Amino acid sequence: MQKSESLSKTNTPKRFRMNLKTRETIAAYLFLSPFIILFSVFVIRATFYAIQMSFFDWTILRPFKPFVGLANYKELINDDVWWLALKNTLYFSIITVVGTSAVALAAALAINQPQVKGKEFFRVLLYMPSLLSVGVIGLTWVWLLNTQFGIVNYLLSFIGIRPINWLGDGKLVIPALSLTTIWWGFGFPMLIFLAGLQGIPEQLYEAARIDGARQGQIFWRITLPLLRPTLLFVTVTGFIAHFQVFGQPFIMTRGGPGRASYTVIFYLYEAAWRAFRMGYGSAIAVALAIIIIIFTLLQFRFIGRRVEY
Amino acid sequence: MPKLKALKYLLSLFILVFFVQTMAQDEPEPVVTDFGSGGTLISFWNGLSGSDGVTLNEMLGQFVSENPDVSVRTEIIDWGTLYPKLQTAFVAGEPPDVFIVHASEVAQFHSYGMLKDLSYLYDTNGGPLPADDFAQPGFNGVFIDGVPYGVPLDNHGRATWANVGLFEAAGIEPHIPNNFDDLVAMLQQLTLDANGNNAASADFDPANIVQWGTCMEWIYTDFESYLWQHGGSIISEDGKTATVNSEAAMAALQKMHDLIYKYHVSPEPAGFDAWQSWAGGKVALVPTGSWFRNFAEDQTDIQGQALPAMQLGPNPGVWFGAHVFMIPVSLEGEKLAAVEKMIEWVTNNQKMWAASGQVPARISVQAELDPENYPSNILIGKTFQDYGHMEVVSTAILELQSALDPELSAALNNQKSIEDALNDANKRMQQILDRTQ
Repeated sequence: MQKSESLSKTNTPKRFRMNLKTRETIAAYLFLSPFIILFSVFVIRATFYAIQMSFFDWTILRPFKPFVGLANYKELINDDVWWLALKNTLYFSIITVVGTSAVALAAALAINQPQVKGKEFFRVLLYMPSLLSVGVIGLTWVWLLNTQFGIVNYLLSFIGIRPINWLGDGKLVIPALSLTTIWWGFGFPMLIFLAGLQGIPEQLYEAARIDGARQGQIFWRITLPLLRPTLLFVTVTGFIAHFQVFGQPFIMTRGGPGRASYTVIFYLYEAAWRAFRMGYGSAIAVALAIIIIIFTLLQFRFIGRRVEY
Repeated sequence: MPKLKALKYLLSLFILVFFVQTMAQDEPEPVVTDFGSGGTLISFWNGLSGSDGVTLNEMLGQFVSENPDVSVRTEIIDWGTLYPKLQTAFVAGEPPDVFIVHASEVAQFHSYGMLKDLSYLYDTNGGPLPADDFAQPGFNGVFIDGVPYGVPLDNHGRATWANVGLFEAAGIEPHIPNNFDDLVAMLQQLTLDANGNNAASADFDPANIVQWGTCMEWIYTDFESYLWQHGGSIISEDGKTATVNSEAAMAALQKMHDLIYKYHVSPEPAGFDAWQSWAGGKVALVPTGSWFRNFAEDQTDIQGQALPAMQLGPNPGVWFGAHVFMIPVSLEGEKLAAVEKMIEWVTNNQKMWAASGQVPARISVQAELDPENYPSNILIGKTFQDYGHMEVVSTAILELQSALDPELSAALNNQKSIEDALNDANKRMQQILDRTQ
């Protein structure tokens, strides 16, 4: 019996059939493959190459690139400008992430009101700044914030405020760059918050209103707790993005006054592209990547544990 | 939620105004321009923006009309972007056929083996360009170990521009005093508060100034001028030791600082727009460069007059540099011949270049300039010849500048003491020199 079964199996023309799960998996990877290939070539390969470069005295145009081991990292640890740039970057990131999240959430709440007409129009309008390049944003805001001729100081003069040196005062320059960035970047997190708000069941609000809850109570007890996963996403991606700020200080202040708006990537640019020290620039990049990873893990640790999905 | 609604409308209004304003901007200056349709196309990169770029483009237009076999594609790139772009282009094996950088950077680019030896272009080696007709000490800047790696287009450097009307209103003939005390006294007369009191008056209100005697513009180059006036330099003659915390440097920077915080004749530099303030009649004497000429002439409601650089030290001294044509070492054949033709044509027609405000590199062309049309070129060129100092030559000049510039800014914007700023700069510059020399 066993033999005949075996024979019949052998004689029957066999069609190779994958199960559904395997087919779906292959299809998924096929759809992902253009991204995976490009990501591997332009990001993963470049990342490993940068790590390798950080162990060399790598001047791009010199054929001889000696291996220096950890010398670039030792220099980095003793480099005052690196620590200053890191401090500036952290300060900028905190202000910008908090500011962007607050403005984006406020805008999303405003647009999400049931009585608002033309939601789509306002959604597009408020998202529009995100479509502009950093060059356009930077040059325009340099004029808006100009101490002598800027419209911001002109408007403030009507309420008796003397001209403020937004980009020339070492204490104000980072908040001014943050202000620019918040205006530029709040559109995308606003859309994320809108999606989050639309995912909150309406029954919860109805129940709260029947129980006599005020708007403030509803926001703090229902909306904000249920938006925590969204908030986590916005803050984590925000910190990752803003830790890499470059265009705004490069275009608006060139890192000044003094080094008051030097950021890590700005310093990396100076090292790699002005001093032509690619090895040292790569060490800065690797160090920043490690810091961002640690910071992201900490955010998940401290904010993420209070999130219910 | 009326507050949220108001916020929404406020944000929307702001964004709408911003977009309207953005779209209403003037046409940007062209960065890539094609000249001619000749069979041999040469690419030409430079950082000559503003009136420099306009003048050079006019010259190239005329060059291709006289040389129809050649066409030129120029790319005008901000200097700060040009240097990294040149690096990547050379590494990729696709450098421009000809480019312009400054004489002070010849040593750095030569150290990478990027530059062609151009001895054969000068008559000392049978070429068409008369070597002894290029003004010194600018011409020396293109030589490394006795070999020329470039052809100078001009000498350009620091000067001042006076608003003649403001000088006349103060009863002063536009001039530059040859000592610091007299300079301060003059600038005090030219600095006015909202009540019309000048900075020498006992009733002067330094918190409410409406007209400045002077201001700071390109701090790095002016500091170098004042440092030379005090007998110092940013690095030693052998190029191995940083000397920017010397007594001379401390004195030079202290005097710049005093103009701002002690005598109140100059605003804090950061956030102050020197050119627009001069155009708005808010600054009597702006320290700037030879390239200011056309901007000054465009301000038809202001009578401007070029003057030598300010003298803060005991001796005169002024920073100047040179724009220099360079050719990649790899260029050969038809393109090389076309590039040589273009450089020779531009060099022989440097008088046209004087329209940019810069001082032509050739002595014979400088002599051709008439005082009526080129007063600033003649005056400024003479200061370069009489007491000019070329930017220091170092294979790490760009990095040295990056180390010093923020410290000067920090000191003059009162973020650091003079001593700390110059000591920090010196320490950093010495690290660079130890690593590179």
